[in-house]
Amino acid sequence: MHIPDGFLDGKTAATAAAISVVGVGFALRQVRRELPPRRVPLLGLAAAFLFAAQMVNFPVAGGTSGHLMGGVLVAALLGPSAAIVVLTAVVIVQCFLFADGGVSALGANLLNMGILGAGGGYLVYRLVSSRMRGLRGQVTGVAFGGWVSTVLAAIGCAGELAWSHTVAWSAGFPMMASVHMIIGLGEGLIGALAFAAIARTRPEIVAERTPASGGTLPGGILRYGLLVALVLAVFVAPFACPWPDGLESVAAKLGFDVQGASAIVHAPAPDYRLPGIHSAAGATALAGALGTLVVLGLALALGRVLVRKSVKDLSKESKQEPPC
Amino acid sequence: MLKDWLGHHHGHHDSAVHRLPATGKLVGALMMIVGTVLAPWEWRAWFIGMVVLLLMVMVLSQIAIWFVIRRLLLLSPFVLGVIVVNALHAPGHGNWLALAARSGLCLFTVVLLANTTPFGKILGALRSARVPALLVTTLALMHRYLFVLLDESERMRRARASRTFQRQRRVRWRVLGTLVGQLFVRASERAERIYSAMCARGWK
Amino acid sequence: MSGSIQVEGLRYRYHDGTEALCGVNFTIAPGECVGLLGPNGSGKSTLLLHLNGILPEKITGDGSIRIAGQAITAANLESVRRQVGLLFQDPDDQLFCQTVEEDVAFGPQQLGLTGKVLEARVERSLAMVGLVGYGHRATHHLSHGEKRRVCLAGVLACEPTILVLDEPTSDLDPRGRREFKTLLQGIPATKLIATHDLEWVVELCSRVIVLDGGVVVADGPTVEILNDEHLMLAHGLERPHSLRHHHPH
Repeated sequence: MHIPDGFLDGKTAATAAAISVVGVGFALRQVRRELPPRRVPLLGLAAAFLFAAQMVNFPVAGGTSGHLMGGVLVAALLGPSAAIVVLTAVVIVQCFLFADGGVSALGANLLNMGILGAGGGYLVYRLVSSRMRGLRGQVTGVAFGGWVSTVLAAIGCAGELAWSHTVAWSAGFPMMASVHMIIGLGEGLIGALAFAAIARTRPEIVAERTPASGGTLPGGILRYGLLVALVLAVFVAPFACPWPDGLESVAAKLGFDVQGASAIVHAPAPDYRLPGIHSAAGATALAGALGTLVVLGLALALGRVLVRKSVKDLSKESKQEPPC
Repeated sequence: MLKDWLGHHHGHHDSAVHRLPATGKLVGALMMIVGTVLAPWEWRAWFIGMVVLLLMVMVLSQIAIWFVIRRLLLLSPFVLGVIVVNALHAPGHGNWLALAARSGLCLFTVVLLANTTPFGKILGALRSARVPALLVTTLALMHRYLFVLLDESERMRRARASRTFQRQRRVRWRVLGTLVGQLFVRASERAERIYSAMCARGWK
Repeated sequence: MSGSIQVEGLRYRYHDGTEALCGVNFTIAPGECVGLLGPNGSGKSTLLLHLNGILPEKITGDGSIRIAGQAITAANLESVRRQVGLLFQDPDDQLFCQTVEEDVAFGPQQLGLTGKVLEARVERSLAMVGLVGYGHRATHHLSHGEKRRVCLAGVLACEPTILVLDEPTSDLDPRGRREFKTLLQGIPATKLIATHDLEWVVELCSRVIVLDGGVVVADGPTVEILNDEHLMLAHGLERPHSLRHHHPH
C-alpha cells in the first residue's frame, strides 16, 4: 500500500508530510529519552528485521512490498516510539533504494503505516493486554492490534487518495478496507505466532514490555492517540461522516480550492456525498463493526491456543542451573 | 532478484553522474519529483522535457535501459489497481495516463538517483541537512545489516523447508511465525554484539 | 609493563546463569602470543570480553584484571580500550559502517583524530592488512576473509599494545588462515587468541591456556600441553595431527 509519486496532489502530500514530521519528531524525542544507549543499534536491526521478515513471507519478485508488516509486533517488543522510528527508517529506505512508495508521498506513507498502523495498532494492543493479564493478553493484543493496524492504514490510504481526487472514497474505501481486512488476518496471525515464539525462547525480551498492572497510561501514549485521531479527522472523517457538505466544508475551512481538480473516478451513485446513500453507509458501518468483533473473537481464541500455560510457568522453564 | 536492486550499479560504474556530489543529486531529484507532481497535466512540455532529461542522465551514468524498464514495469498490485480503476471508470478522460506518467517519471528519477549514489553518501547528505542523528544511525545500520538478515532468513527458511514433509496450511503459518520470531531474536542478539563492538572501539 | 595482562580470581555470572567464570588466574607478559583453548561453553568469549572492559556491565573496581599493571575501573575504560584491541568472532558484528574507510576510521575518530592525520592512520592500517585501495568499498560487499582483515585494520588503527582475538579463523578457507597467520606474526603486540583451530595454535602460539568450566585447567608451552592426549580429551579437545608425528624437544 505504498503510495507512489503522482497519486497524491500537492495539498494532500504537504499536509501529510507536515503531520508526519510532527509525529516522527515526537517519537524520536521519546526514544532518546526512554531508550538506553545499548539499545540504539537495535532500532536499525529491527528495521532490517522487518524487511527481512517480509521477504520471508512474501518473496515478491523485485522487492516491491505489498504491505509492510510487523509494526505492531515491533511496538509490542520495543514500544510505540521506537516502532515509529523503525518504520520511518523502513519506509525511507524502501522509497529511496527500491522506489517503493513515492518521495512526495513519504509523509502519507509514514502516516498510514507508522502512525495509524503501528501507533493505532499499539493503542489497541495496550487496550487488550492491559485488560487481559499476562502473556495471553499480550499475544491476543498483538493479534488483534496487528489486524487493526492493517485496516487503519488502508483506511488512511483511501482517505488520502480521495482527498487528492485520485480515487473517490466510495470506490476506494470499500476496496481498500475489504482487501486489507483479509490481509490483516495474516498480519495478526504471524505477529502473534512470532511474539509467542519469542516469549518461549527469550522471555526476557518480552518481559521488559509487559504493561504495568493497572495504573495510568504513560503520557506518550495519549499523544499517539491524539495523533491517530488527528490523522483520521483530516483524511477520513470528511468522507466517513454524514455531513451535508462533507469535503467542501473542511476544504473551505482550510482555505483550499477544491475546484482545481475534477473528480477522476466517478462513483456508482450519481451523488457521492454520503447523505444520498446514507442507508448504505449505515450498512457498511454495521458490516465493519461485525467484522471487527469476529476478528477480536478470533484473536482471543488464538491467544488461548498459543498460550496454554501462565507466565509464571514459562519463566520458570527458562532458568538454568549455574555451573559454580 | 532482490539482491540485484541492492547490488546497484554504482559499484561497477564510474561516470560523471556518479561523481556528482550527493547533496546536489538529492536536491535535484527532489526538485524534479516535486515539479512533476505539481505540474498540471496540460503542461505537456514539462513531462516531455522530463523524459528527455532523465534519458540523458541515464545515458551519462551508463545505466542500462533494460534495467530501468524492468524496474518501471514492476508495479505493485496496489499501484496497478489504482491506475486500472481510473482507466475503467473514466475512459477518455486520460487521467490514468497522468497517474502512470507522473509515477513513472518519479520512479525513473529515484532509480537513477539510487544507482548513481552510494547510500552512505545519501546518509551524509541527510546528516548535513540536520536530520536527527538517531534516525540517520538507524538508517545506516538498517542498510548495513539488511543483507546479513536476509541471508540469515534465507538459511533459516531453507533449513525448515528441508525438514518439512507435509504441505498443510496450518503447519506453514506456524512455521512462518516461529521463523519471524527467531529472526527477531537473532537481530536483537546481534544488536547487542554490535553495541559491544562499538564500545570496544571507544564509542561513548 | 605496557602490554601485559594480569587476571586474578575472575568470577562472572550472566543473569540467566550461563557461561560463568569461576575464578580465572593467569598472567601474560608483553609480546607473548598465547592461545586460549577450551570446549564450547567453557567461558572463553566471556573472558575475552572482560579484557576490554565490556564485561562486567557494571565495573565495580574489583581489581582482578590488570592491563599494563593498572586495574580496569570505570574511570580508565577509555585508556584500557585504547590499549586492548578486541577482534570479535563474527566480523559482521564489528563492521558496522557503510564503507571500509569509515569503519577503520571509527576507532581513531573516537580517540579524537581528524583530517589528514586520520586519513594517514586509516591508510597505514589498511596497508598493514594488505587491503590498500579498499577504502571506498562497501562493507556488505566484502568476502568473509576481507571482512576479517578490515576488522583487524579497524582494531590496529587504534594502535593497541594488546590484541585479543575471538575465533579468528572460523569460516576462513586454508589460504585465508595462512594469510591471517602471517599477518598476525608481523604484529608486535601481545596476543591472546581464543580458538578451536589447534593446528593453527601450534604454528602461531608459544603458550596455551586451557579453560574448562570457567577455570584454567592447564597453562604452559603449546607443544607440551597439546601433546598431553589425556588432558586434551578430558577437556573436549584433542591432540592435533601435526604433533602426533612430532616429538617434543
